[in-house]
Order: sequence, then C-alpha cells, then structure tokens
Amino acid sequence: MVFCLLAFFLIAVTLFTGIGTLNVDVFTKSALQGGALEMIVGTVYLFLGAAAIAGPIGVFTAIYLVEYAPSGKVTRIIDQAINNLAGVPSIIIGLFGYTFFSRQLGFGISLMSGWLTLSLMILPIVIRGSEEAIRIVPQGFKQAALGLGATKWKAISLTTLIAAAPGIVTSVILGIARVAGETAAILFTSSVIITRGLPESPFEPVMALSYNIYVKIVAQGTEPERVFGIALILFLIVVTFSLVAIILRIYYRRKQPWLS
Amino acid sequence: MNMSNKTLNKISSFFLNLKSQPMTVVLFLCASFSVIILFLMLFFVAREGALAFSQFGSDLFFGMQWDLESNLFGGFPLLYGSLMVTFGALIIAIPVGVCTAIFVSEVLPFYLRDPIKSIIELLASIPSVIYGFIGLLVVVPFIASTFGIVSGQTALTSSLILSIMTIPTIVSVSGEIISAVPKNYKEAALGLGATKWETIKSVVLPISKSGILASIMLGFGRAVGETIAVSMISGNQAHVASSYLDAVYTIPSFIAIHMGEAPVGSVEYSALFGLGLILLIITFIVNTLADIVVKRGVQP
Repeated sequence: MVFCLLAFFLIAVTLFTGIGTLNVDVFTKSALQGGALEMIVGTVYLFLGAAAIAGPIGVFTAIYLVEYAPSGKVTRIIDQAINNLAGVPSIIIGLFGYTFFSRQLGFGISLMSGWLTLSLMILPIVIRGSEEAIRIVPQGFKQAALGLGATKWKAISLTTLIAAAPGIVTSVILGIARVAGETAAILFTSSVIITRGLPESPFEPVMALSYNIYVKIVAQGTEPERVFGIALILFLIVVTFSLVAIILRIYYRRKQPWLS
Repeated sequence: MNMSNKTLNKISSFFLNLKSQPMTVVLFLCASFSVIILFLMLFFVAREGALAFSQFGSDLFFGMQWDLESNLFGGFPLLYGSLMVTFGALIIAIPVGVCTAIFVSEVLPFYLRDPIKSIIELLASIPSVIYGFIGLLVVVPFIASTFGIVSGQTALTSSLILSIMTIPTIVSVSGEIISAVPKNYKEAALGLGATKWETIKSVVLPISKSGILASIMLGFGRAVGETIAVSMISGNQAHVASSYLDAVYTIPSFIAIHMGEAPVGSVEYSALFGLGLILLIITFIVNTLADIVVKRGVQP
C-alpha cells in the first residue's frame, strides 16, 4: 500500500514541477502559435462523443442483463463477451478501429472513427457500473409501479432507472476518465499531429493531448521536458474526472440509504 | 435427436419471448452489441493478417528476424520481449498487489479504506502516455545511473512502470474477493485463538485463492497489451534480450510504431495485423481463463 501511495505522490510531484511551463497562452493560443487549444478541445470532443455513443448502449445492455436476461447460454455468452471486450488491449482496439471504421466503413482518419473506437473502450466500464447501480435498487420500487399497472419497461424506466441514475452517471464519468488519455486507440483512427484550427465536421481529423505527447516524444524525438505542459493538462483532466466519479459514488452511497 | 429438439425449442421460445415485447428487442440488440463487436474484431484483424499467415505461417511466431528488405517477418524477439517485460512486471506487482489488497481489506481501519481505495483507483486511471512520460523523465535516468549503463531504456524500466500500472488491477480484483470472505469464518478462527495474521494465512488466503489467481491473470492481460508507456521506455530493439538491462521491443509497441509506415495491403501491414491477432488471442485466452477461475471460486 505504501508503494501505491508513494507511486501516486511521486507522479503528482513530478508533474507539478512542470507547472511553471503552464501559462494562459497554452490554453488560449492555437497550436500553430505554440498553444494547445486545439489539443485540449480535440481531447474533449473525443471523449464526449465516445461517451455519447457508449452511454445509451451501455445502459441498455445493463438493463437487459439485470432485468430481462433469462439465465441461460445466450446471457452467459454476452456476459463473457463484455469481460473479453474489457480485456482487449487498446492497440488492438485501435487496429480494429482502423480497419473497420476508418477503412471498411470509410470514415477515414476522423473524429467519427475516434468516437466509435473509443466508445468500444468505454462500453464495458459503463455496462459494469450501470449493472451494479441497477442491481442495487430495491425491487420494491419497480414492483410498486408494476402493481399500479405499468408495463415492465415503464416500471423500470420510471423507477429503477431514476433511482440508479447517479450510479450510471458515475460509471460514464469513470469511462471518460479511462479514455481521455487514451493514445493507442486513436493513434491510427482519428488523430494527427497538427491541424489548421478545430475540426469543422466529424469527418475531419482532430488533435489530442495524448497523441501529441506520444508522437512528439517517440516519433520526433522531442525532449520530454518540452511537452511537460500538455502532459500536466492531460493529467489534470483525467484526475479531475476520476475524482469527480469517486466522490459522486461515495456521496450517493451515503445519501441513498438502500445503497449500503 | 431429443436433445437437439429441446435446444431448438428453447431457442425458438427465446425469440418468441423477444417478439412479444418490443422494448426487450431493443435491449437485447444493445446487449448483443458487445458480442458482435468482438466477432467483428476477430474477423477483421484475422482478415488483414491472413496474407502474412499464409505466407509465413509459424515464422510469425518463431522467426528470429524482422527485416523488410529480405522479406523476413519473424515475431519471436517481439513475443519474447513482451513476455519478458510482462513477467518482470508481475514479479513486482503480485507480492505488492496482493499484500496491499490484504492490508486494505483486512488490517486497515474502516474509515481509511475509501480514501486508500480511491487513490489506487486514481493510479489506475492515469493514462499510459503519462506513465511513459514519467518513466522517461524519472525512471530512465535513475536506471541508467544506478546500473551505470548508457541508456536507461531497458526491460527493467518497462517492468517497473508496468508493475505500477498492473497493481491497481490486482488490488481491486483480489481485494473484492478477500473482503467477500464470510465474516464468521474469520471470527471462528479468531475465537480458536488464532492471531490476526494466522487467520489471514489459514482462512482468508485459502478461500480467496482463486480470486487472487484471477486478478493476477487479469493483470497479465493488462500488462501484455500495454502499448504506449512501454514503447516510450523500453528502448525498442528487436532482439532476444540477454538480461533485464537490455533494450527490448514488445508486440504492441512494435505495432504502434510500425503501423504508420506500412503501406496498406502490403505484406508488412498484414504481418503487423498477424502480430495483433497473436496478441488478441493471448489476451482472449487469459481473460476467459480468469473468468472461469473466478466462477469456480465463487461456487463452493
């Protein structure tokens, strides 16, 4: 445990030594002028779109698994597939995204390909988180609605789903935290090192913080110190999302008495 | 015959059930999305890699050289590099991870558990490119000066960073299993006069054995597929490394670095997908086994 704490503090301290490299220009100036505006906005675009795709599918899957799925082979296969999807290395997701979304479906190197690829990484996190949130809601809520004559879907969407909403939102935020800094999956599918301004349609490539750090260091041989600023911004974005998710979870566990 | 009729009946009644409730169909389709994607993934990666497999066959696993000009595509040094780095990481991560899990769920006072778990979760959410960055900035110079070698980009460096990335997986999965050990088992042991440590050793650990094993396998799956951090700090040299102080190249980092320059449809491109397929199958097997181990462990 001490090891983990040490590791975390080491990482935080190291990154904060780079705080001097940050200034207002980084946030407001375009990349062509030495800022990071397009990278920050590009990263936000990427994870918001991916969450918008994975969110509904993930929540529906979770509802199906908890409330509808008959216990049998089909359900077991779905369950197993979700676990396997969660375990697929991000570089393979990237390869798949490139052959399928970029080439087969013809989206090219674009925001759209990035969204779809990243949504595959968020999906298992949203499913597992929402499943947990839905499972924990007392059956009584739903049964009361059923007793009043609601159909099954109505009962679930009007009671269970609303009671589970905080947990579901938390899982989506956790999913965002997991992909906001993802590099391997967008390496071939959506990002480029420099663009002229922000993408105007989902079918244009975007810049991203993580991609820039990686390519600058590995392909262009930039000294790590020179990307300190963007690394710090990325770290802050990801840690903020994780913290929000963690705090939300703890808060709602206390607030909703049936949860513990 | 009877058997197949029964399954047929089951399947048809399953679909009939779907038909009577429109919302169920929508939900079922969403749920099957993961299955479909997984199949598409296998199919597409395999399709792109087929050319290389048909030309080189097992050479993709066992060939010693990857040389574009002489048309050699041997993945053995990469496979070796991947396994070497992963095992190095696990050797560090298993003891630290399991001890942390025991400590957090058995020893730590209750009010400290949430904060500590949160920090471990934060550790898991840090992007790999940041780990690579920190590795370059801190660990690489440290390794170079400690061992007096020219470049600190070694297998050891990668194993160190990878272990930090794997520990959260091991802690969270095995921690969950350890805290699920029934309380009365522990109380029985304590009541017989066992010390806390004896209880952990002879009651908690044997019961959660399979969960811990599963967490290690999931950690393996995560470490073997890690791309970005490793490709930044492992030195990237495709040879069979003689020691942990040598530079290595792993399958995922090789794919990440070479995909950009391989012309679409070329043999090299296909060979990279072939490597990807090997990696995908390795992680499939490991993850499925982990699942089976967990399910076995849960049933008494």
